[in-house]
Amino acid sequence: MGSTRLHRGVAAVRSRWRDLERDWQSVAVGATTVAAIAVFELQIPW
Amino acid sequence: MSAARFLPGLAALLLGAVLARAVELTVGFNHLLVAIALGFVLANTVGVPDRLEPGINTHKLWLGAGIVLMGASLTLETILEVGGLVLLVVVAVTTLTILVVELLARNVFGLADQLGSLLAAGSGICGVSAVVAVAGAIRAREEQIAYAAATVLLFDAITIVVYPIVGDLLGLSDVVFGVWAGVSMFSTGPVVAVGFAHSEVAGQWATMAKLSRNALIGAVVIAYASYYARSGSAGRPSLRTLWDEFPKFVLGFLVLVALASAGVFSSAQQASIENAYNWLFVLAFVGLGTEIQLAELRSTGLTPALVVLLALVVASTVSLVVLSMLFGA
Repeated sequence: MGSTRLHRGVAAVRSRWRDLERDWQSVAVGATTVAAIAVFELQIPW
Repeated sequence: MSAARFLPGLAALLLGAVLARAVELTVGFNHLLVAIALGFVLANTVGVPDRLEPGINTHKLWLGAGIVLMGASLTLETILEVGGLVLLVVVAVTTLTILVVELLARNVFGLADQLGSLLAAGSGICGVSAVVAVAGAIRAREEQIAYAAATVLLFDAITIVVYPIVGDLLGLSDVVFGVWAGVSMFSTGPVVAVGFAHSEVAGQWATMAKLSRNALIGAVVIAYASYYARSGSAGRPSLRTLWDEFPKFVLGFLVLVALASAGVFSSAQQASIENAYNWLFVLAFVGLGTEIQLAELRSTGLTPALVVLLALVVASTVSLVVLSMLFGA
């Protein structure tokens, strides 16, 4: 039951992702990165 | 359409990025050059295996994401800090460089419009980052991006050797040398390195001049996006066409510039964001390197390099003369 809901959720996200223009995908990647750094104080080494 | 089919190519990009960074740390070569070289060697020796292609072809996505994140390292204050006179020189030299490259590329050497614009942006603003940003705005072909990036990186390597020699030979002051490097060299890394190699003060001026120049990237990207959106439309240019052609990642970039200017990010967060976009760039450039095909490079010839060389000589000479007059040699 739970796993079915999870699969549906993942499928919905993948479907949304595929529908996005590549530019918006880039924005999504950037936004996710900034959010991860801000919320979790993620430290990315260089 | 399984996500798993992207994994081998993504792993290859990641491996190339880590390798490029390791080479920079151990041998000192520019990691972007190494990343492009790795992709280039793969594509021109054994060729890109079919199973790697889906993942490697995602490199433009990472380029766009890197540009979005780059917005966080730029603030409006950066420009105001360097002073009006230097800012004036920055804008003038940037405009001159872009115009000279566009003029030479289109009217003298007959290069494709997009390639000329990429070379102009790379020479005029901030090297590879500008090439990448403008490439999205003008829908440049992947091999054009790779050629322009390779040309810019070639001149990064040349100027990092030539500028300190010229600076010492002419006995340039710290301010003149720093601002000169900041306004006329291409990429930020070499500018900072050359500036601080001359002196601490020269390094500070070089960095400030270069960062204010980098801050112009948003305006240049928007200008190019608007120009190509208009010239590419079949009928009358419309707002709809402008929007369709407009690179949406620029909006993400501008949002981050605004957030950074408002002081939303701590210095630790800003450092992490900068590291993130550096990784995204090196990741993407492994993929871009695979787009440089020797056969096509031969047919392109040395023309892009010649265009950039001529523009660099003009911009470098003019800016040095003007700066010497303004601040004394």
